[in-house]
Amino acid sequence: MLYIHSTSCISAQHTFDDVNFDVLNPVVENKLVAVEPNSNQIPNAVLRRMGKAVRMGIKAALSIVNNQSELKGIIIGTANGGMEDCIKFLNQIIDYDEGTLTPTNFVQSTANNIAAQIGLFTSNKNYNITHVHRGLAFENAVIDAMMLVKEHPNSTFLLGGVDEISTYNYTISLLDGLYKNEEGKNNDLYETETAGSVAGEGAAMFLVNGKKQNAQATLKAIQTIHTTDEITVEANLKDFLATHLADGEKLDLFLSGENGDSRLSKYTKITEKIADITTLRYKHLTGEFPTASALSLWFACNFIETQKVPTNMVKSGSIPTEINTILIYNNYTGIQHSFMLVSR
Amino acid sequence: MNKEQLKAQLKQQIIESLNLIGVKPEDIKDDTILFGEELGLDSIDSLELIVLLERKYGIKINDPKEGRKVLIDINTMADFIEQNSSKQN
Amino acid sequence: MNKIAQNKINLERIFITGIGIITSLGESPDENRIALKQGKCGITDLELVQTRYAGKIPFGEIKINTETLKNQLKATESGVTRTSLLALHAFEQAINDAKLSVREITSSETAFINASTVGGMCLTDELYKDANNLSIKSSYLSSYDFGSVAIYLQQRYQIRGIVNSINTACSSSANAIMYGARLIKNGYAKRVIVGGTDSIAKFTLNGFNSLMILSPEICTPFDNNRKGLNLGEGAAYLVLEAEETCKSKHVYAELTGFANTNDAFHPSSLSIEGDGPFLAMKNTLDVANLTPSKIDFINAHGTGTENNDEVESRAMLRLFEKVPSFASTKSNIGHTLGASGAIEAVYSVLNIMHQEIYPNLGFENPIESTKLTPVLSYSKKEISHVLSNSFGFGGNCSSLLFSKI
Repeated sequence: MLYIHSTSCISAQHTFDDVNFDVLNPVVENKLVAVEPNSNQIPNAVLRRMGKAVRMGIKAALSIVNNQSELKGIIIGTANGGMEDCIKFLNQIIDYDEGTLTPTNFVQSTANNIAAQIGLFTSNKNYNITHVHRGLAFENAVIDAMMLVKEHPNSTFLLGGVDEISTYNYTISLLDGLYKNEEGKNNDLYETETAGSVAGEGAAMFLVNGKKQNAQATLKAIQTIHTTDEITVEANLKDFLATHLADGEKLDLFLSGENGDSRLSKYTKITEKIADITTLRYKHLTGEFPTASALSLWFACNFIETQKVPTNMVKSGSIPTEINTILIYNNYTGIQHSFMLVSR
Repeated sequence: MNKEQLKAQLKQQIIESLNLIGVKPEDIKDDTILFGEELGLDSIDSLELIVLLERKYGIKINDPKEGRKVLIDINTMADFIEQNSSKQN
Repeated sequence: MNKIAQNKINLERIFITGIGIITSLGESPDENRIALKQGKCGITDLELVQTRYAGKIPFGEIKINTETLKNQLKATESGVTRTSLLALHAFEQAINDAKLSVREITSSETAFINASTVGGMCLTDELYKDANNLSIKSSYLSSYDFGSVAIYLQQRYQIRGIVNSINTACSSSANAIMYGARLIKNGYAKRVIVGGTDSIAKFTLNGFNSLMILSPEICTPFDNNRKGLNLGEGAAYLVLEAEETCKSKHVYAELTGFANTNDAFHPSSLSIEGDGPFLAMKNTLDVANLTPSKIDFINAHGTGTENNDEVESRAMLRLFEKVPSFASTKSNIGHTLGASGAIEAVYSVLNIMHQEIYPNLGFENPIESTKLTPVLSYSKKEISHVLSNSFGFGGNCSSLLFSKI
């Protein structure tokens, strides 16, 4: 059980500061590139070395940790961390034939750079961790945060998920079949019957603790699964709901990680059937990336807080008058799956 | 190239290679301490500048401690470049 | 099917019931122990990695080529990298050592936490070609990331509990061990397989070289004239089990303390006061409820860089009234990055199992400002508690405490 007290989100849409779901930023060249907010909180001397993942992470983090007395820990999930810097350094190695190379890209390429920079900038000497387990990097960060909150009931933690589209990583994932070969659009992402999705990036941050009072939302439970078998996903989801939904408690919304990849529709179909409630989807807004589920948690918190749902996210069913309980399902490339149960 | 031109060029190169956002060449005086408060450079920058000296001026520094002696300010860097370039000629 | 955590924190004791390891010193705990006792050094000229530094800078290279490893381990799947193969070798050893049955390995109550900082980037040239779309796509497209090792092992062994990958640079596998232990304590798992793996990559060797911290000679941790670190490769895994699940089993040692802290000073070097290392050690003792005087031996991080060894020494002097016996094994096998925390955890377990300590090679004169001398020869010693340090980029500092049962 995790109480979420404050949230922030940087994505391809207007999710930072003035949240506005009415204006839709389009997919461009099969990418949904995150809109980076201007921030005067971070001095140029600090910003100058950072790649986009680190900038998004630190901007999203600082917007909620500023007035926070000391955080007991910083827990970040990122599959690729500083991928752009990693490849820049790789190119240096080849271009200069392993000669004298500049170290900045190498230092910035370490996956734990986002968490480290947040720690450095806030002078935080406590627990600092980076989970990098591809499509379950954020989920493992959540499990970590849940344990921490139990271990330190009176402390507050920063939990986040961040990943960037790097030119090179995009190429690798495209070759690997993760993105569509034809040009995709936001609105018809789910209509195409082809393999692949559109690339995305973003950062979502959460202040979490064990205190119910004034919480924005509650993350009641999480489960992760490694399988390619949809029947296993089905059985696990049934079990998950049976275990974690209280007597008489029902789902109000199902937030699905559907991403337009025809190969993965079997998973979203079966989970939708079990949830059997109004289904929402978000990847036409954010694109697909390993820690997109961090953004899905931000959406769920937003719906609970505002008691509103943008109509362009509704796949089926009607918007409920009261939003109390949301089931989130995500899968990454059909091998890593997760469920999260969020409630008021 | 005379020494003033060399210094002006160095300032531009330092700003570019260290990505000093918002810093203009005129903000760096010839005797501004590079690793002082004003520019706020650190040990990674000193390694970047060692690479700059090699890539732009063909001068190789193998020991970072030696680098620190050269990389005090624009004056010391320009002197070092002149001395070592003349050696090469 | 990770079972829900119980509501209270489980105060279960965490026992080590299996270990597996491969380094340039040997392919098993026994081979490593014999080499450590004899003060052997596995740091040599490169033979297998193609780089212009081969023959110029020494490395802790494992002299088994990747194809041979594949055959030995029957790892015929496509896209398997050297990093994953080293992991597979040590993982298999650890689960066999702990006599885990297939039923136990595939139980939803068995978790697997891996650490790696190189992942599939050991294939630096292939990655370059794929990333720049320069030739026909390779078979490694889904093997480059950090998660690829854990996902490969998960699929090979059909692990159904929580599976995770951690990358906090050089403290990664210490943090994997800590996360695994906390999963047990919090009721998310009954047993965990934890550890890390890294292989020598053109990527990391050029990276450390660009920071000018690679020693041109065999490294000399804690020596006044140390010239930097050597890179090494290896993997190590430990099986941790909750006390109640391993009642009838042979137990090597207990994991009694762990902590992670952040130095919050600089992306690639530690503060001179060593707040991060000091707090990591101190908090670990607090978790175990032990006073500093109870520590019999410290497996130091001791990389041989100017910065690390001095700061680590200062942190030890801050915490301990009398600094206990300490040594670094980096001059035996080099710095194995994400694997080092787990490898040194296995070495700490060996210290306890055999009640002995191994020499810190290459040391001549103490660092002027701290004047500490590490263990210089092999000896038998009564050991109840061993502290093991791992510090990484981004100021990430972790300590683990292993205790005799």
